[in-house]
Amino acid sequence: MSINRRQALGILAQGASGTAAVCAAGEARAAGQNRPIPDDRDAAAMLYDATICTGCKACVSACAEANDLVPDTVLSGGLWQMPEDLNANTKNIIKLAKGETPNDLSYVKRQCMHCLEPACVSGCPFGALHKIRGDGVVTWEADRCIGCRYCEVACPFNVPKFEWANFNPQIVKCELCAHRLDEGGEPACTEVCPTHAVVFGRRSDLLETARERIAAEPGKYFEDRVYGDKDGGGTQVLYLSAVPFTNLGLPELAEESVAAYGSKVHSILYKWLALPLTLYVLLAAIIKRRWASHEAHAHEESDKTGLPSQI
Amino acid sequence: MMDVRRQDRALLPWQRGVHVYGVRFLSPPFLLFGALTLIGVGLSVLRTFGGLGFTGMSDAYAWGIWKTFNVMTLTALGSGGFAIGIAAWVFKWDRLHLVMRTALLTSFVFYFAGLLALTVDVGRPWNMWHLLFPSHWNPESSLLEVAVCMPLYAVIFLAFENLPPVYERVYVHATDPVRKVMRKIFPLLAKLYPFIVAGAYVLPAMHQSSLGSLLLLAGSKLHPLWQTQLLPLLYVIQAGVAGVACVIITLMAGCLVWKRRLDLGALGDLAKLMSILAFGFLGVRLLDVLVRGEIGRAFSGDLFALLFHVENLSLLGPALILTKAKARKTPRTLFLTAIVVALGAMMYRFVPTTIAFVPGELTVYFPTVVEVLMSAGYVSLTIVMYSVAVKLFAIVPASVEEWYDAVAWARRHFRTLRVDAHGKASRH
Repeated sequence: MSINRRQALGILAQGASGTAAVCAAGEARAAGQNRPIPDDRDAAAMLYDATICTGCKACVSACAEANDLVPDTVLSGGLWQMPEDLNANTKNIIKLAKGETPNDLSYVKRQCMHCLEPACVSGCPFGALHKIRGDGVVTWEADRCIGCRYCEVACPFNVPKFEWANFNPQIVKCELCAHRLDEGGEPACTEVCPTHAVVFGRRSDLLETARERIAAEPGKYFEDRVYGDKDGGGTQVLYLSAVPFTNLGLPELAEESVAAYGSKVHSILYKWLALPLTLYVLLAAIIKRRWASHEAHAHEESDKTGLPSQI
Repeated sequence: MMDVRRQDRALLPWQRGVHVYGVRFLSPPFLLFGALTLIGVGLSVLRTFGGLGFTGMSDAYAWGIWKTFNVMTLTALGSGGFAIGIAAWVFKWDRLHLVMRTALLTSFVFYFAGLLALTVDVGRPWNMWHLLFPSHWNPESSLLEVAVCMPLYAVIFLAFENLPPVYERVYVHATDPVRKVMRKIFPLLAKLYPFIVAGAYVLPAMHQSSLGSLLLLAGSKLHPLWQTQLLPLLYVIQAGVAGVACVIITLMAGCLVWKRRLDLGALGDLAKLMSILAFGFLGVRLLDVLVRGEIGRAFSGDLFALLFHVENLSLLGPALILTKAKARKTPRTLFLTAIVVALGAMMYRFVPTTIAFVPGELTVYFPTVVEVLMSAGYVSLTIVMYSVAVKLFAIVPASVEEWYDAVAWARRHFRTLRVDAHGKASRH
C-alpha cells in the first residue's frame, strides 16, 4: 500500500508517540466485556471547534472517499455530494445549525461520538458493535450483526444508520477511520480540515487543548465547557461551541451513560443467573408438590365419570 | 350424569375440555382470516428476497409495528398461560386449571406469530446462528435475553404444555400397538411435567421483563412518564393483566360463536385475578411516577399526559367495577371490562415504543400498507391456528354433558369411527 503526501504529513504530525502506539494496543475481547473503558491516555479522540469551522465540507467528501461510500447526491439532483443528514451513505456531515436569533448560526460536524460507554454496544445482542480496540473506537462487525436495529433505538445521538432497501443491509456509522488508524494514519476528516476546526489526538490531550482555549477566551464558548467531557458518561469526540449544544443537535445527557442506566437493572437480575435459577428451583419444588394431588384428582374425576382423564 | 336435563346445563360449571364440533370448518370469518394469513405469509416470503425498503421504518424510528405491535404488544396478550398458570399452581387457585388449556393455546399462537414477525423484521437473519453459541452472546443485552428466551419458551416449553390435548387425540385414534407405546411414554412425560411447567413460568418472567428493559437504553428518547428503571417489573405485571384479559375475551367470544354455556364461576375467578394484577400494576406505576417526581407531567395537558391517563384509567375503572361480586357474575360486564382492560394493557405496551418514543428527529413513523397487511396476516394466523386447534383438540372448557354430545356427534358424523360412551374411538 502506498502512502500519499498528505498521509505522510499526518503521520509526521502525530509523531512517534501518537496513533501508532494507540493502535498497537491489544484487541482482546474478554467474555462479557464488550465495552471496556479505554485508558484516557490511549483513547483516540477528535476535538471539533464549531467557532473555527467554515463549513467547507472538505471533511464530508474526504470521509466518503476514505470509506468507499457512494456520495449522496439526491438533493443536488445527482450533481454533487449533498447529504441531508447522516445516512447509509454518509458517515460524517457538516450542518448549519440555526438558533433563535441570526447570531446563533453555527456549523456543526456530526459523526459517531465514540462514547466511553456506548449504548449501542451495550444493547447489541451478539456484540456486532463493540469497543474492543485499545483506542476505544466503536466498530461494527458484519458477521455478528442480525440487523435488529437496536443500536439505532439506543444511540442517544441517532448515529447508526441502516441500509433499509438492501438485501444484505449494513449498519453504517463512523468508525473513526479505524482502517487508517491501523496504518498509523489519522481520520480522513481531521487530516483534510483546512482550518483545524477538527483535530485528532488522544482524548486527554484534546481535553487539555479545549480547556486551554476556553481559558484563553472566557465567555466565548457556551457555558465555558467541553461537550463530551462528562456528557452521557463521556465521549471520545469533544465539542466546543459558541451556541448552545442543543442547537447543534447534541442532546442534554446526564453524566451517567445511557448504557450504565440501561444495564444496571439487567445486570442485577441476571448476575450469574442466580435469580432466574432460584426462581426455577422454587417453582419446581412447589409445582412438584402440587402435581401429585392434581394428577390424583384428575384420575379420581376420571373414575367417577368414566371419561378419560384430562391433565 | 346422563340424567341432567338440558335446561339445567346453564348451571353446570365447566368441567373439562371438549372439542368444538358441529360447526362449519370453512365459515366466512375463517375464510377471511385464512385469506389475510395467506397474504401476510406470502408477503413475508417475498420480503426474504429483498430489503426492508418497503416499510415505513426509518433510522429514527427503527422499530416498526412488527416489533412494537406483533411482538411487544401481542406477546403480552399471549401471557395468559404464564399468569393463570402461576395463579393456579403456586397460589393454589384450583378452579383456574379448567381454563388452562385455553390460556396455553392462546399463548402458543400469539408467541408463534410474534416469532414469525420477529424473523421477518430482522435485517440479517442469516447471522441468527450465533444464538446457538452462548460464547457469542452479549450477556449485557436485554435484546439478547429476549432473543434467547422467547423462542425457547414458545418452541419447547409452551409446545410441551400444549401436548396433553394432542396426546389425547392421537391416543383415541391410534391402533392398539401404538396405544401401548403411548401408555408407556405417558408416565415419563407426567414425571417431567412439573419441571417443564416451572421453566414455563421462569422464562416468560424473564423475557416479558426484558421487553421492558429494552426501553431503558432508549434513555431520554422515551418520555419521562414511561422511562423508569421499573419498566421490567411494570412490563411483566402488565403482561399478566393483558394475558388474563385475553383469556376471558377468548373464552367468552368462543361461547358466543359456538353457542356454549358460560361458567360465570370460572370467568369470575379470572376477572378477580385480572383485577388484582391491574391494581398491582397501577400501584407500582403511580408510586414510581411519584417517587421520580414526574407526576407533574401527568397534568401538563399534552398528548403524553392524555395517553398516560387513558392507559391507567382503562385499568382502574374495570378493576374497581370487578371488585363487586355481582359485576363478576354479569356476562356483559365481564366481557366489556375485559376488552377495556386488554386495550389499556396493549396501549401501555404499544405507546412507549411508538408515540412516547421521541427520537428528536423531524421524521414520523407510519406503517405502509404492505407492513400493515403483513402485521394483520400474523394476527389472522393466531385466529386461524386457534380456531383449527379447538376443533381438533379438547381445549375449550365445557360441561360433561357437552362431552357426551360431542361424542354422539362424532359417532353420527364419522361412520368409520366407533366411539364408545367414554370417548374412546376405534376404527372399523
